[in-house]
Amino acid sequence: MMRYDLMIDFWRRFLRNKGAVLGLGILLIVFLLAALAPLLYSYSPWSMVQRPFLPPFDREGFLFGTDTLGRDIGAGLAFGAQISLLVGVVSTLVALAIGVILGAFAGYYGGLLDHALMRFTEFFQTIPSFALAIVLVAIFQPSTVSVIIAIGVVSWPPVARLVRGEFLSLRSREFVQASVVLGQRNTKIIVSQILPNTLSPVIVMASLMVAQAILLESSLSFLGLGDPNTMSWGYMIGAARSVIRQAWWMSFFPGMAILLTVLSLNLVGEGLNDALNPHLARKGR
Amino acid sequence: MARAGQTFSFLLRSSFLWCDVNKLVFIGKRLIQAVFVLLFIVVLNFFLIRAAPGDPAQVMAGEAGAGDEAYVEQLREKFGLDRPLHEQLFRYVGGIITLDMGYSYRQEQPVAKLIFERLPATLLLTGAAFLVSILLGVLLGALAAARVGRWADSLITVVALIFYATPLFWIALMAVLLFSVQLGWLPGFGMETVGAGLHGLAHSLDIVKHLILPSLTLGLFFMAIYARMTRASMLEVVDLDFVKTAKAKGVHPGRIWRVHVLRNAILPVVTLAGIQAGQLVGGAVLTETVFAWPGIGRLMFDALLQRDYNLLLGVFFISSAMVILFNLVTDFFYTLVDPRIELK
Amino acid sequence: MENQPLLKIEELSIKLPTGSDRELAVDRISLTLNKNEILCLVGESGSGKSMCANAIMGLLPQPHVRPVGGLIMFEERNLLQLSDHQLRQLRGSRIGMIFQEPMTALNPLMRIGDQIAEVFSSHGAVSKSRLKTKTVELLSNVGLPEPETIGDSYPFHLSGGQRQRVMIAMALALEPAILIADEPTTALDVTTQAQILSLIKRIQLTRHMGVILITHDFGVVAEISDRVAVMQFGKVVETGTAKEVLNRPNHPYTRQLINSVPRLKPMHRDPPSGKQLLAVDRLDKTYAISRGLFKKGRYVHAVNQVSFEIRRGETLGLVGESGSGKSTVGRCIVRLLKSDAGHIHFNNLDIAGLQGEALRTHRKHMQMVFQDPYASLNPRRKIGQIIAEGPIAHGESERDALARAHELLNLVGLDPTTTERFPHEFSGGQRQRIGIARALALEPELLVADEPVSSLDVSVQAQVLDLLEDIKKRLNLAMLFITHDLRVAAQICDRIAVMKLGEVVEYGATVEVFANPQHAYTRELLAAVPGKNWHIPDTAPTDGE
Repeated sequence: MMRYDLMIDFWRRFLRNKGAVLGLGILLIVFLLAALAPLLYSYSPWSMVQRPFLPPFDREGFLFGTDTLGRDIGAGLAFGAQISLLVGVVSTLVALAIGVILGAFAGYYGGLLDHALMRFTEFFQTIPSFALAIVLVAIFQPSTVSVIIAIGVVSWPPVARLVRGEFLSLRSREFVQASVVLGQRNTKIIVSQILPNTLSPVIVMASLMVAQAILLESSLSFLGLGDPNTMSWGYMIGAARSVIRQAWWMSFFPGMAILLTVLSLNLVGEGLNDALNPHLARKGR
Repeated sequence: MARAGQTFSFLLRSSFLWCDVNKLVFIGKRLIQAVFVLLFIVVLNFFLIRAAPGDPAQVMAGEAGAGDEAYVEQLREKFGLDRPLHEQLFRYVGGIITLDMGYSYRQEQPVAKLIFERLPATLLLTGAAFLVSILLGVLLGALAAARVGRWADSLITVVALIFYATPLFWIALMAVLLFSVQLGWLPGFGMETVGAGLHGLAHSLDIVKHLILPSLTLGLFFMAIYARMTRASMLEVVDLDFVKTAKAKGVHPGRIWRVHVLRNAILPVVTLAGIQAGQLVGGAVLTETVFAWPGIGRLMFDALLQRDYNLLLGVFFISSAMVILFNLVTDFFYTLVDPRIELK
Repeated sequence: MENQPLLKIEELSIKLPTGSDRELAVDRISLTLNKNEILCLVGESGSGKSMCANAIMGLLPQPHVRPVGGLIMFEERNLLQLSDHQLRQLRGSRIGMIFQEPMTALNPLMRIGDQIAEVFSSHGAVSKSRLKTKTVELLSNVGLPEPETIGDSYPFHLSGGQRQRVMIAMALALEPAILIADEPTTALDVTTQAQILSLIKRIQLTRHMGVILITHDFGVVAEISDRVAVMQFGKVVETGTAKEVLNRPNHPYTRQLINSVPRLKPMHRDPPSGKQLLAVDRLDKTYAISRGLFKKGRYVHAVNQVSFEIRRGETLGLVGESGSGKSTVGRCIVRLLKSDAGHIHFNNLDIAGLQGEALRTHRKHMQMVFQDPYASLNPRRKIGQIIAEGPIAHGESERDALARAHELLNLVGLDPTTTERFPHEFSGGQRQRIGIARALALEPELLVADEPVSSLDVSVQAQVLDLLEDIKKRLNLAMLFITHDLRVAAQICDRIAVMKLGEVVEYGATVEVFANPQHAYTRELLAAVPGKNWHIPDTAPTDGE
């Protein structure tokens, strides 16, 4: 069902959005940084390679300075990118898996099943998600896997609501009713009529969710709940907290890294929204 | 002057409106739902303790207490850990209802006491942050919508975008660095000046001075969300038919924005505020940690460091209760603004 | 002698944003509105008639859409040159306007009384007590019940017709010289429409106002107008008194439009001779709205013991207003909904209780044509695929199904080489034809058409109706035609069943029912048809036109 000219159309609309293009560019840089980290830095970010408290722009090869133990902040940024992207994407996939399935069932079958699933979703949304994530990671011991699962578990409710909403509205749309009257089987209707029309808002939401997941992961690491074996941006900020007066750069650069990555994801998400829904063009642009 | 009078009469009429049976039924339903949610969380807590690796009694004793065999035995007794599961559940739920959330071995105090001592500080912080975020957010969003496409709009949109993308704890740190360390304008630590021994008004002012940075920090993040939502909502409403009707009647543009557009655009923002309540409470954990604010968020952080699971779960439960409280407040406010509530 | 026109539009042109299907929405049009008359501005969608009205009020969505030439003279001033402030002073006080959609035209969060009061307060201070008196006066003038207390209600408490009356009250509050009504009754039921039209007429007469009424419905024109201006593609093609234009139209476009209006007097049709195909026996369906775990639900008895039959080769019309249950009956018959009680005998098989695979295979015997040409086709599928979906679902190979799609496109009058295009590349009328082709792909014996032409322009409507009639004859189909429009029913239905609040109140041959309506409601419906006394002239194109 992929049409070549549809894709070109989509790209043209996307590229018209300057913010989205900027976001995509930044994202590409972050991705390259993460992918090429082992090539750029022959040593692990945990190795102590210089004197501690080295300020940035001071010495060749240590553009971002070093931290309290003499570890290269630049290396931390690069390897931190790996963790952020990994956790961000995988936990979003987990949340999508849970949310799409629950939302689709609730929206398509309606009735009691919908009612029960929606109450369950509401319950979940009342629990402060960050607090629950903390509790989950604390109880199951911090590791990359527990962080990913915890973030996935607290992030699925908005997806479920979105998918349910889309399914509900599509189910009563006339072209779906026409398919029922034609005698198409239920699964065929879901797969070929409803899902393709649901895809766009889910894709947009997914990009925004990756952004949220990265924020969540960095917050958890800041509090010391990240995987102790991985150098993540949040951890770097947390570790440098006590020396913020003397060494502003140890907190500044990782923070900027988070800001730029999350910002670029948000921009790309909005660009996707404009490109995928041209008839719902936003005002003022 | 006339506006103040209008606002007053609006509030007066609203309080009479509130006696409407439909609204009471609505709030009543919400209260019942609240009870169910709390029950759900208690049960969740119960199963989480048992899901953790290791013996539940040891988990409850926490890292510090697990060494003390006698204490662990006591816990086993108290929670009947050799009894069937549903009995344990009843005991646990019963305990929570009587506000017995266990004992923190590390801090050597009942969990409930620790929490309720610090709860007011968190309520103060989150309340202030909420007000800041909603008022500033709606104001800026409305301004951006009214000046759509012009530089004010672009500026506000970009600023909101940036605040929305920045991790909360980092804003907090940078705020401390800038305003407290470098500029020395505001205190960045604690709720009151240590050892100052102030009373009455001076004491309150001191607290307010300490409140500024943390509440602004927590508030700015959410301000971005409300600003974006308000702007989007207003731009949607301005295209609706009844705005055209108002124009055709010759209503003054300022009044159209205030009375017709803003009042209708605010509805989804109020709903959003309810949904964001959970995030707000979660954000308090980070804010209190950075600013050493003596609230339950800070308590949660301490419990984390000390692997004090009883305390951790107790704070978790209370923070959920806080979210429910927030939701009730926003629901109540929603019934004031939207007369159609009976149809929802 | 006062012969000065009230409003004079001269050579007005309005520009559309780049990328629209034409450069000018309105192209050098000239119109006059005299005192004490109703001028009807008639045209199909895209004719620019609403644009004119918006231009008079200064409500064009500038800067994208703006006037680029001409003038609009009112009270010795050119409205196009007035400042925002000056225009605002005119709006609501000298010129009032009402719009099409009553359900969304009022601020849902403000009380009715306050919204009316707003007109007064926007044009100068009035004391509170005077305000209340004037408001009550207005509300009772427009025929609203309990005018003393209805001002405290919110819009959602009122029906569509009542909301439109409120709109009229607001427009007339300051006794303007001109009232502009943009399709004021299009979204209303036919009985409500008749009431609102007579209200407008009465007000115009008592206040000697000038009224510009914009509509696409020639029946409305015949009912209420003094003078008529016909618009097409942004130009005025004909003007004249109602008598002249309606009975002796000159311009070919006017003639075409009038020719497309269905006659209210049904032609004699032979009684059905085919065998019985569908027999509906005491069908019953109740909807639950707003049901929750903690509260008692509210129920609507949508279909109440409905019975009728359809024979092969016959068209039965199901006629009623909104809320009559006619759509629900249609949906129960094609099993989009499951009825609560009653039988649906199709070829002597009771399909009301069919389930699962048996139901699915049965579906090919009856198909549906939907109302909204924009929502009834999946925007992400090509039209060839859309038409082929039915046969494929019942086991036909993709190649054969697509070949059939080609044939069907021919049958419905579309170019068969367009199978690779997407729905958005077609017009509303064309999409409706695609919908018909899709329904015919399974070679059904019964076609249920749910308001198939209600969303179409009148000239397109005529073509689609002709198509349906033609196909029915050729394929010897039976058709259940659901509509609220009595003219359409008169044109195409052999027999009709009139429905009110879920019940069939009258049932018989169309000619009979129209000539001798038995039930009071049927009489009410027939009396409410706008322009029922207008004898439509024969303007069919002669050879050479």
